[in-house]
Amino acid sequence: MAETKSVLTDEIRALIGATGEKVEASLWGIEREDLRRFTQAIMDPDPRYWDDEFAKTTKFGGIVTPPIYCTYLSRKTPPGADDPITRAFRENPESDGIGGVDTDRRGALPSIPTHLKRIMNAGNEIELYKYPTLGDRIFSQARIADIKERAGRDGAPMLFITTETIYTNQRGEVLCVLRASSLRR
Amino acid sequence: MVTADALRNKEQLYYDDVKEGLALPPLVIGPMTPTHVFRWSSAIENWHRIHYDQSFAIYHDGLPNILIQGSWKQSILPRYLKDLCLPDGWMWKVSFQHRAMIVPGDTITCWATVTHKTERDGLGFVDLEVGMRLQNDVESCPGAATIVLPIRGGRPIPYPFVPPKD
Repeated sequence: MAETKSVLTDEIRALIGATGEKVEASLWGIEREDLRRFTQAIMDPDPRYWDDEFAKTTKFGGIVTPPIYCTYLSRKTPPGADDPITRAFRENPESDGIGGVDTDRRGALPSIPTHLKRIMNAGNEIELYKYPTLGDRIFSQARIADIKERAGRDGAPMLFITTETIYTNQRGEVLCVLRASSLRR
Repeated sequence: MVTADALRNKEQLYYDDVKEGLALPPLVIGPMTPTHVFRWSSAIENWHRIHYDQSFAIYHDGLPNILIQGSWKQSILPRYLKDLCLPDGWMWKVSFQHRAMIVPGDTITCWATVTHKTERDGLGFVDLEVGMRLQNDVESCPGAATIVLPIRGGRPIPYPFVPPKD
């Protein structure tokens, strides 16, 4: 039987608590057009996202976004940036479309120095406090909340990594907190 | 399917009207198609090939088909719980795991069952067991949530939401 070696090294353990830079996640603040595409893609016809007159009558007092809409904004490529798709396939013709795309994401956390390449989304925890409204600027700050070692079904050690990202608006109000867990194996 | 008018005219669910074991109204989405998957990738700029390139998904990653994105699933339970709370309740917390893959052809039923209720600071906190069940009864996204519902004759739920002091 092969000897199993711990994958949770001191170098990796030292990353627990590492905090990324606080960055603006939105490119131009909350925009109506992007909201339209997003809400159609989650199949949510809620008029609170597009009907100004109705939205004014709600407890929110105006147009709002879906619960965790602001957590997706930082995925967008800023204008003027190197085209991530061209770059990914230039670097690796067999690219899966994500390798090379995320490497210079603003506010990114340090990468985990491990030979375990496969990443699986293991779950999410969301806390919600306020919805953004049109024109709001969204800021995010991430930290590595925890890293644990777990055994896979085949007994091989895996890393269970939890990151926590806090989203705020231009007034520093907390909009939501997203904890994302992933498995590296 | 939920319509804009149904959400515009949604009647409030009150804390007084829920009890442990109560199944809340489900939301059915689907059947999902590659076009739904592509629309989401495009909306959030997710270029991962396993979500639009079927050959890559099957022959490179060994998957059964292109996959419905975890990032999409992540927004669906909050959206469902938001609907349940409208117009004046608040979806405070939700957590879930990504279990069974969802692929084109699947139909998803978002569901929630009350597990516990408690009154704190004049607000009604309702704990739920939640999930996204597929047409073959496989649970794709098991989880738990806490929503806050108004109490008849009670105070309004603060917005922005302020959690109770424990």
